Amino acid sequence: MVEILDNIDQREMVINMGPQHPSTHGVLRLELVLDGEIIKKVTPNIGYLHRCFEKYAEQMDDYSKVIPYTDRMDYVSAINQEHGYVLAMERLLEIDVPERVEYIRVIMAELQRIASHLLGIGAFGLDLGAFTPFLYCFTEREKILDIFERTTGARLLYNYMAVGGLMKDVHPEFKTDTADFLKTFRPKIKELNDLLSYNDIFIKRTANIGVLPKQVAINYGASGPVLRGSGVQWDLRKNDPYSIYEKFDFEIPVGMGEMGTLGDCWDRYIVRVREMEQSLRIIEQALDGLPEEGDVTEAVPKRIRPKNGSIYTRSESPRGELGYYIESNNSASPYRVKARAPSFVHLGMLPAISKGSLIADLVAIVGSIDIVLGEVDR
Amino acid sequence: MLNTVKEGWTTFKSIFTGMGVTMRHLFGPSVTLQYPDEKMELPKGARAKLYVNIDDCIGCNLCARACPVNCIDIETVAATSDVDLGKTSTGNPKRFWLTRFNIDMAKCMYCDLCVYPCPTDCIYMVPEYEYSEFDRSGLVYHFSNLKPEMVAEVKEKAEKEAAEKKRQKEEMMRKKAEEKKRKELEKQKLEANKSIKEDDSSSKPENNDS
Repeated sequence: MVEILDNIDQREMVINMGPQHPSTHGVLRLELVLDGEIIKKVTPNIGYLHRCFEKYAEQMDDYSKVIPYTDRMDYVSAINQEHGYVLAMERLLEIDVPERVEYIRVIMAELQRIASHLLGIGAFGLDLGAFTPFLYCFTEREKILDIFERTTGARLLYNYMAVGGLMKDVHPEFKTDTADFLKTFRPKIKELNDLLSYNDIFIKRTANIGVLPKQVAINYGASGPVLRGSGVQWDLRKNDPYSIYEKFDFEIPVGMGEMGTLGDCWDRYIVRVREMEQSLRIIEQALDGLPEEGDVTEAVPKRIRPKNGSIYTRSESPRGELGYYIESNNSASPYRVKARAPSFVHLGMLPAISKGSLIADLVAIVGSIDIVLGEVDR
Repeated sequence: MLNTVKEGWTTFKSIFTGMGVTMRHLFGPSVTLQYPDEKMELPKGARAKLYVNIDDCIGCNLCARACPVNCIDIETVAATSDVDLGKTSTGNPKRFWLTRFNIDMAKCMYCDLCVYPCPTDCIYMVPEYEYSEFDRSGLVYHFSNLKPEMVAEVKEKAEKEAAEKKRQKEEMMRKKAEEKKRKELEKQKLEANKSIKEDDSSSKPENNDS
């Protein structure tokens, strides 16, 4: 026995996980330093999907030409990306947006939040071997995309919001379509809980894994479901209301450590599921309050040329705090655009929360922070 | 021991709850389509392919300028004074021959930004998505309906007219310059006369004195 132990090679092993790996959610390369199967160190290597968003934005000869590029940052929640950008531009230009536009924007943003969470949850289950919930999530997501397609014409990259308004009005049956979706989607959340959330195998794979304590989350600048999963009640829609979110009644779901430790993968996951329910509540209220009449393009300026100055605006994207810093030098194109992407920040904490776990658990951790590489690299 | 049994029971139960869900779905209606045989109807406003109604185009270049990726390539030649290109269906007069109107769908990002500025609504997206090609050049769509010889003729004509105009302009300029010169000469002459007169008048008192 002793002889064998003496001959064991005790050097560390370095392996690359990715860039082509199904559970890294895109082209992410994780450099793992391993001791057997236990992770000693993780170094995320990014940049495989870098498309120079910020430089492109400076090259454009029009502020509105940047909007299609913001879509392509986080392609899973394109509407929320646009929303953040147009909010920043409207504050910079001091435009008052018509109420109908605000209502449609909120409904769209919340539908997109549900779609994004469905994809995040489905892919998270898929990483852990649960293939069926993934398909069911996609079936539901499809219905949301159909609503988007009928309104905007596109299924993924919408370019729907314009500075000061919207590109076009919603389609005539938008209200009934959305109401129908709300009706059919409510029971599906229960189904998802039966199938995945309270499944014992799933709980065993996620509870007590990748624990992110409250203090660490705050120190790293986490936001969105990752921060809320650690038990911090922080939602920009409530704490720093933008658009018309202060009109709606909804709760901020937080992780409570029900299945294990506070801030583990399961907490982050269940926060997303509960957030979908809250989004449904917001959509319901917004549909009731949506003004019937109104021109959605009336406040859109003909020519966008802001005065000298800069602005930083943050909004709550499905992944967390999305900030846009725009600096203007009184010309037709922005002097500088900087996007503060939540996924990038969350990826930065990966080394801190995955130290000492197994490789199989790293898959769960990466899935639970729900990164989109398009947003990380920009 | 009791714990193990309890755990085993919860696992067993959760697996069967999940199985129940899948079982219900098994007997539900199918959500997929057998694609090449069955096709989903795209909504009216679906953005899948750019189309240009070239009869209505006035060659204003607004769509090309609105494009963030420069996938629209337009070349226009001013119509000569002897041709009337007519009007578009929206009533805008056409003043340019469209010798080239190419859209590179390989570059297009389907953002719809070119559609909004069009004054005659002649560029729009159509819900047609089956247009893959083996060669990338096949994705460049030529919308101009002028034949190459026609293009050459139109260009030649326009050049001729432009040259004629230039010549006329130059002639005008030359005439103007001549006129100016003549006037200047006259002015100089006048001034010279004046100075002579002045000389005369100034010399007169001298004479008086003497």
